Amino acid sequence: MINLKVVSPQKVIFEKEVEMAVLPGAEGDFAAMPNHSPFISSLRPGQMAIMSSNKVDESFFVSGGLVMLKEKVCEVLVDQIEPLSDINSSNYQQSKTYQELEGNETALGTFEQVVNNPPYK
Amino acid sequence: MPNLKELKNRISSVKSTRKITSAMKMVAASKLRRAQELAESSRVYADSLSFILSSLAGNTKNSSDLPEILTGRENSKISLLIINSSDRGLCGGFNSNLFRNAKKWISDQQGQGKSVKIMTVGKKASSFYKKTDLDIVASFEDLNSNDRQLQVSEEIKNKIMELFESNEIDEVSILFNKFVSAISQEPTYQSLIPLSNEETSEDESEANNAIFEFEPDKNELLEYLVPRNFLTQIYRSVLESSASEHAARMTSMDNATRNAGDMIDRLTLTYNRTRQAFITKELIEIISGAEAV
Repeated sequence: MINLKVVSPQKVIFEKEVEMAVLPGAEGDFAAMPNHSPFISSLRPGQMAIMSSNKVDESFFVSGGLVMLKEKVCEVLVDQIEPLSDINSSNYQQSKTYQELEGNETALGTFEQVVNNPPYK
Repeated sequence: MPNLKELKNRISSVKSTRKITSAMKMVAASKLRRAQELAESSRVYADSLSFILSSLAGNTKNSSDLPEILTGRENSKISLLIINSSDRGLCGGFNSNLFRNAKKWISDQQGQGKSVKIMTVGKKASSFYKKTDLDIVASFEDLNSNDRQLQVSEEIKNKIMELFESNEIDEVSILFNKFVSAISQEPTYQSLIPLSNEETSEDESEANNAIFEFEPDKNELLEYLVPRNFLTQIYRSVLESSASEHAARMTSMDNATRNAGDMIDRLTLTYNRTRQAFITKELIEIISGAEAV
């Protein structure tokens, strides 16, 4: 189990033990698991998935940020994050993240994609 | 002899002032709690970010490889000071302390042959510095309503990045009232360009030792990190300043309430004495009138 800690500039969003977390790194998705080599990466907009035994338990949209991965700790510093379960795919324009991303075309495009057809299901 | 009616009016007006100040104190106390929580919860992000930044900077051996926005320009001529004041008054020496401190800093800088530009945050600073002949590059107001702190911090960050890139400024410092405790706030400077790493000194050895892999490469990461770091530092100072403001208001309103109480006591005493004197005088008049008959 790895300690996943998700932090926004305002507060700690959640912190919990997970088996595996898949994150949208700047140069490709990667999975954070225990005993990963120390690693720092920036994030592109995309889906963050918390998984156990090859199934997605929880799924989020992140608009970007940073990850610091140590032996047993995975710290994710996010700009914006929203659970996909909170977003209604038929009117995703109403969601908080969508409104905050206003004007950022690439991020909005990814948002739309992730909401309608997440890469990890 | 003071007029009874006048005294009565005076007492009732001081009483209503006391009501207002004690209500303001309560409001400030509850806002303080919220502001303090916010300041504390934002610390986690700021700490992690500065850890990442120092491990990244520490990993780069030659400091000339680092971008100048991190290390500062060699011949810096123009410094920018960001002054974090409040939007509203009635908070004791909160703003005047800050301005006095800033004045000293500005003349220090000018003594070193640098010119100084000012960026103001909060209505009090903008109205204060409008009267001086200092160059104000931007003013930001109305931070604490509708939780605009993060948004305004972002605007400030964009502005300083823009000014630095167009060579209009070489150094950036930020001045704010640091929240020490509910009864003490301390004007504090923090240097953004060049980046000061005093606060990270404890973590630094650890950060330098850990061997991280970086993705994408360091320079690209720094490009993302540096503005992020500015944003968090600015945001943090804004939050500290707002906690300090509420604390300062709370103590000064507490004092005001107490002073109003003392004043009411004094006035009531005079009122009673005067009333007594009037009664005595009236009695004497009646008695001496009766004697004359």
